[in-house]
Amino acid sequence: MGGPSVNKPELVINGKRVDGREFNELRKIKITASPLVNASGSAYIEWGNNKILAGVYGPREVNPRHLADSTKAVLKCRYSMATFSSLSEHGRSGPNRRATEISKVIKEVFENVIMLNEYPDSQIDLFIEVLQADGGTRTAGITAAAVALATSGIPMRDLVYAVSVGRIGERLAIDFNMIEDNYSDSDMPIAIAPRNGEVLLLQMDGEMTKAQVSEAMDMAIGAGKTISAIQREALREAYALMPGNTDKQ
Amino acid sequence: MRNIVTPGELIAPAPVMVKNAYIEGGKTYSKVLGMYDGAGRGIIPLEGAWCPTPEDTVVGMISEVKNKVYVADLSYFGRSLIVPGKYDEYNFSEGDIIAAKIKDVESRRTVILKEAELLEGGTLIRVKPKKVLRIIGKKDTMISQIAALTKTQIVVGMNGIIWLRGGNLALATEAIFRVEREAHTSGLTETIKLFLETKSV
Repeated sequence: MGGPSVNKPELVINGKRVDGREFNELRKIKITASPLVNASGSAYIEWGNNKILAGVYGPREVNPRHLADSTKAVLKCRYSMATFSSLSEHGRSGPNRRATEISKVIKEVFENVIMLNEYPDSQIDLFIEVLQADGGTRTAGITAAAVALATSGIPMRDLVYAVSVGRIGERLAIDFNMIEDNYSDSDMPIAIAPRNGEVLLLQMDGEMTKAQVSEAMDMAIGAGKTISAIQREALREAYALMPGNTDKQ
Repeated sequence: MRNIVTPGELIAPAPVMVKNAYIEGGKTYSKVLGMYDGAGRGIIPLEGAWCPTPEDTVVGMISEVKNKVYVADLSYFGRSLIVPGKYDEYNFSEGDIIAAKIKDVESRRTVILKEAELLEGGTLIRVKPKKVLRIIGKKDTMISQIAALTKTQIVVGMNGIIWLRGGNLALATEAIFRVEREAHTSGLTETIKLFLETKSV
């Protein structure tokens, strides 16, 4: 969120960011693939202090039926923040303006990678539940949802990752936390398909110059290699059960 | 060497026909999470929904009876019907467990069943549909081994529902769930044989 604030905290202390990170340093990311048994696919991510659970159901019957498409599946997405997820209570956890918007953009991200034409007349449901929020929940949610979709066996063109890049003063920094998100000069979440660098989500709060935007893109693609590796490692780990090593699951 | 591949992972730098892969820009990528050994067998998916094919054996429950037409619940999101032919004499009631074969898959996800038979008593368990082939095994080796060593009657439905009756039910169930869990490992038939022999003594 841009704009001057009366109580703006210092975001750069001794050349480092508020949480002691470098400008191009990600927070710690940990992904668990398919923690839930009843969903078709699921993933749990801990991205810094963010804790997010993503679940996939389907393909299943389209509800309401008139939305059914005989050429492809219908994708539905719900992003929701738990009442206890942030510092100030969120009140009731139903859909609000922000959640509706984020659900829509996440749906559009995955519509471009899921091979929906393989499941005509059906519906795929994607649920992203934010249990604890600390800035960058939509990007962490997309990263988790990609893993959840992979564990559901739904054919996809790519394993999408997302990360935010923003501007503090004249310097760019990657992966904003809540304080940076609230008081920085600009914030740009990006979702990318690593296979060909296709940009599937690009939103921005605040202002950046043309040169800064292209530098931000480079930073996101650079950090994406790390995020992608963590995603794929999480998937391999969930299935890396070797003979004689039965206690792992 | 079998490797786990993830969606979007490069399979070959040239366009190659591989099952469960797609070609884009002259390169071949995986579209599922699966096992790939580099040979011509294609990518074997680790997860996924059941896709009904004619001649599949299924296990389900009769959920509705209407004018001699039976609606079966196969835990599949489409409709599945048993329409008796001229010489069929079915007399099922709601809640009956049946085994049947798929006659035809029609549009709008309607599955027509044939050769339905009643399964009396017994227990149902549910497994992941993509693991059913491994539970059955090559030439039925795995399932006949479990059935023989536990003296249990077993009917495996391709839809992921398995019916068991008699014998050492608990052990048979445990063995099936173990196969499901370790489906992607090699030498599983031997492991399960050893497991059953040590447990059944």
